[in-house]
Amino acid sequence: MDNTNRDRSSTQSAKWLGAALIAALFILPFVLSRMGTTGQYWIWVTTEMIIMGLFAMSLNLILGFGGMVSFGHAAFFGMGAYTVALLMKKAGAPLYLALPAAPVVAALTAAIIGWFCVRLIGLYFAILTLAFGQLLYMIVFQWYTFTGGDDGIHGIPRPEMLTPVNYYLLCLILFLICYFLMRMIVNSSFGLTIKTIRENMERSKFIGIHVRRYQWLNFIIAGAFAGLAGGLLTELNRFAQTDFLHWSRSAEPILASLVGGMFSLAGPAVGAAVLMFLKIVLQQAHRSLVELWAIILGLVLLAVVLFLPTGLVGLYEKIFSRSRS
Amino acid sequence: MSIKFYIFMLINGLCQGMLLFIIASGLSLVFGVLRVINFAHGSLYMIGAFLAYSLSTLLTGGSILNFLVLLILAPPAIAILGLLLEVSLFRRVYREEHLLQLLLTYALVLILDDLVRVIWGGDPRSVTRPDLLAGSVDVLGMALPSYNVFILVIGPLIAVGLWLLLYRSRAGNLIRAAVTYPDTLGALGVNVSWVMTATFMLGCWLAGLGGVLMSALANIDLGIGMEKIIECFAVVVIGGLGSIGGALLGSLIIGVGTTLFQLPFGRWALVFPYAVMALVLVIRPWGLFGKPER
Repeated sequence: MDNTNRDRSSTQSAKWLGAALIAALFILPFVLSRMGTTGQYWIWVTTEMIIMGLFAMSLNLILGFGGMVSFGHAAFFGMGAYTVALLMKKAGAPLYLALPAAPVVAALTAAIIGWFCVRLIGLYFAILTLAFGQLLYMIVFQWYTFTGGDDGIHGIPRPEMLTPVNYYLLCLILFLICYFLMRMIVNSSFGLTIKTIRENMERSKFIGIHVRRYQWLNFIIAGAFAGLAGGLLTELNRFAQTDFLHWSRSAEPILASLVGGMFSLAGPAVGAAVLMFLKIVLQQAHRSLVELWAIILGLVLLAVVLFLPTGLVGLYEKIFSRSRS
Repeated sequence: MSIKFYIFMLINGLCQGMLLFIIASGLSLVFGVLRVINFAHGSLYMIGAFLAYSLSTLLTGGSILNFLVLLILAPPAIAILGLLLEVSLFRRVYREEHLLQLLLTYALVLILDDLVRVIWGGDPRSVTRPDLLAGSVDVLGMALPSYNVFILVIGPLIAVGLWLLLYRSRAGNLIRAAVTYPDTLGALGVNVSWVMTATFMLGCWLAGLGGVLMSALANIDLGIGMEKIIECFAVVVIGGLGSIGGALLGSLIIGVGTTLFQLPFGRWALVFPYAVMALVLVIRPWGLFGKPER
């Protein structure tokens, strides 16, 4: 009894904290826009943080909630990015048509790739996501006439009303919509089934859950959100390049999920923001440090794996025991 | 195009396949014993190639002796790097869940690939072929590059050597026993963790050997590690993880197939390994030589 009360009050305070954070995020760009060029820079950075947060949250649907490691998530991010870039630059479509197309195309891609990947679980799933992700990268890289190959697609038009502040607000609103959508998904019977499969696949099969189909659907949903994130980043940078699909891009949301906490919904978004902040701090400290970004990411990942496995498992047990009690 | 041209392409494809086999067999061998799929295997192969390049700049002159020095020195260097990685990192996660093992080797890819960029830079490099192997051999009226013929000889030698080692030697008995009954083997007084370390080193040696052989075949750049590890993945998906025979078959299918598909499809032949992989996943998800788990 006492315990549930404490739980309730702690979720209550978490809600207030969340609401305050959201309010602060809405006010932030108006404060920053009065701070000259540094402010402009930070508006841009925070917008990218929001976008990468969405990307990390989308991966975590597979990683944290599904319990499967995908090393090819950048593929869907890149598909969304190139959808927006190609539709706006080559077809002259307006942003309000191009942006919704991004998650659709990404979801279709995820449906095809996922259909093969979920046929085998565990090790094979990780191998296959990496391999098919790299396939998409190579196709974009080689198909010069359509995607611009190595040059990417530059000069994507920006609607006039989208000032940096407005674009920040657009990203924030979309992020919040996605967050609540994901929360609905995770708490739905679908989400519970996904978690059941993560906990015990054998037993899930025995009670008649079509494991592969659920994992496939989860993969598609995650792909769609990643596609939206990719589309948003393209419009922010006004270019799309092959780098968006590169395998090393897939590392960032994985690490963000590990740092922020795999078993919470908003954790990966916080992790992504922390990582971006770290990158900027490194950039300020010494330019050459950013050259070593992949090494630093790798070392942090190694440290988490070697020294904080209880950080992963511990959190996991906490959630497990809470849902049981 | 004459039939001779196709035979020529076929032999080229076999050469690519043999090179791939040398690398993929290392990956598969390590998985068989350690149950860890080493994403960094491709990075070790790439380091082997770059190491061969650095050594070749030290040894001026393209004599066959110099090339033999590369072949003798570079792969053991990679094996020693493997020893360090195994003892310091891999050994800690054998009993952990797959998730942690995958993340560990993935972190190594990030670190090693970027270290290669820091040390050797991003420019493509190449190793000049030794004079003895720089020309061509006349086979059935076709001029085959003698270096490719050399790889075609080395590949089967490695395959036979691995087979003899695994099935006709005491070391092989230990390795195979460590695959099936590690606990029993330990109870019999064998230091299982050293069997594992030795297997890992052998796998890394194979990656390094592949790197040296490749360095004189084509340009080496920062992308080759990832490119090769994905071909290796295709090989183990096709052949079945942990099976050396499967690795041989898978490598030859991919090497020959990709080369032959270059004729009608040009650079789009790169899709070929994925197509075969997808096909195998649909008909026999556990690979042609593999066994379904459970």
